[in-house]
Amino acid sequence: MNDNVIKVENLVKYFDGRCVLDGINFTVPRGCIYGLLGRNGAGKTTIIRILLGTEPATRGETSLLDTESTNLSPGIRGRIGCVAEGHNLIQSYKVGRLIKLCKDLSLRWNDESFGHLIETFRLPMDRRVKDLSMGMRAQLNLSLAMAIDPELLILDDPTLGLDTVARRQFLELAIEVIQKQDRTILFCSHILSDVERIADRIGILAAGKLVVDCPLEQLKERVKKLQIIFPESPPEKLYLTEIMNQQIQGREMVITVANWNRQKQTILETFKPSSCTEIPMSLEDIFIECTRPGAEPVQVV
Amino acid sequence: MLTLIRREIRDNIVYFIAAVVFSAILIALLINATYHFESSGPAVYVGLSIPMLVILVLGFSAMGVTQMYMDRNRRISAFLSALPVTRSRILTARIVAGLLAILIVLVPLTIAAIVLGRLLALPIPIFAGYIADILTTVFLMVFACYCLGLLTGWTANKIAPTFGALGLNLVLVSLLFVKGFGPDIKFLLVLVIVACLIRTWHKFMSTSL
Repeated sequence: MNDNVIKVENLVKYFDGRCVLDGINFTVPRGCIYGLLGRNGAGKTTIIRILLGTEPATRGETSLLDTESTNLSPGIRGRIGCVAEGHNLIQSYKVGRLIKLCKDLSLRWNDESFGHLIETFRLPMDRRVKDLSMGMRAQLNLSLAMAIDPELLILDDPTLGLDTVARRQFLELAIEVIQKQDRTILFCSHILSDVERIADRIGILAAGKLVVDCPLEQLKERVKKLQIIFPESPPEKLYLTEIMNQQIQGREMVITVANWNRQKQTILETFKPSSCTEIPMSLEDIFIECTRPGAEPVQVV
Repeated sequence: MLTLIRREIRDNIVYFIAAVVFSAILIALLINATYHFESSGPAVYVGLSIPMLVILVLGFSAMGVTQMYMDRNRRISAFLSALPVTRSRILTARIVAGLLAILIVLVPLTIAAIVLGRLLALPIPIFAGYIADILTTVFLMVFACYCLGLLTGWTANKIAPTFGALGLNLVLVSLLFVKGFGPDIKFLLVLVIVACLIRTWHKFMSTSL
């Protein structure tokens, strides 16, 4: 059995002649929490929809739990929990009815854990889904996804619409799931501090390509932001490859370089800078550098 | 599968209640027409059967459209696809629910017709198996129109396909009056059913949810 729970190979997707995904490749091993990031319209939801078989791919192959996305059997689907963007629930149903439907269709249902979640979130059973607030819908969706005790949890912007307390509750729940052995999570979010807190591997989509695909710690080591002060005006060209951003102000130069290594450090030292200080970068800083409009896509893999 | 069928029935309960009411009306009319056959004559049968058949056909066509349109509009299949359910099961459950609604109308009517046929010998000569012949054709006709409704409901463009389906429904009904209840029309109706189901199946399975 393959140890990759999610596999995406050469995925290409066109919408009305516009290329949204251009040869995406990545795998998510069992037990990994993969944070898939990208700006609005970068194609994160499209990847998830293709993975779940609700959207056909133009080219390429995707699989979940060793099964092609286009052939996911009910048995496989029963092992996948999903919180879709916009909390795609049946709006006209009452909460109680929706829960009963999900319970009847599920292959396994953890009553204890679900009851605990419903109690925590204080979800009203007799109200229609359309009458719930966005936050309550998110909580209901999350509770339904968690109730099946999923082997793979796919979360597409799950904290959208949640207040700070509910968001924290959600993250704690997610961590609870992670702690269970062999659970895998694919997590898309715009709240990068959430992703930074729980993800152990990061993928960043920009201009239809996956420009980052590596463990979070490695990403922080590979992308460096350096403040370099030169004795005189900075050189016009540094002869460094994979510069993501470069700003010059007087004798000071601030550069962001991808795939930082000794070789690049040696090249930089040949310019004999007065000082070279590393500016710490959060995931958010790295994300902004990777997805900056007009920037050449630099692969960090 | 039973859960999905139950869901379809509950979501379209109006059509099922209407089917029960319509079946009761049809049986009442049948009994009335049979008992007053001598005084009113065969014209009553024909006069009643045309509007009833049109209502039946349009009603079930509307049911097919509603089932598919509601699904698309409320993104029901998109939600169900995240559960241990395949698209083929969703569509099969939908068609089974449609068939059940048709049978709710036609089975009691068939039973009533058989009972009346045994109780009262009609004063006009009628060939053996006429009830089975008529009801099989009516069943195929209604099911064909229901399938047309399913196909119409799963299209992004609404106006042209709706009028097209409406026209086709009326053509099918008028064919019944031209060709009768013989094997020709049965064959034609089976062809329409198969074509509509294949196209609906293909569209439902391949479009994004």
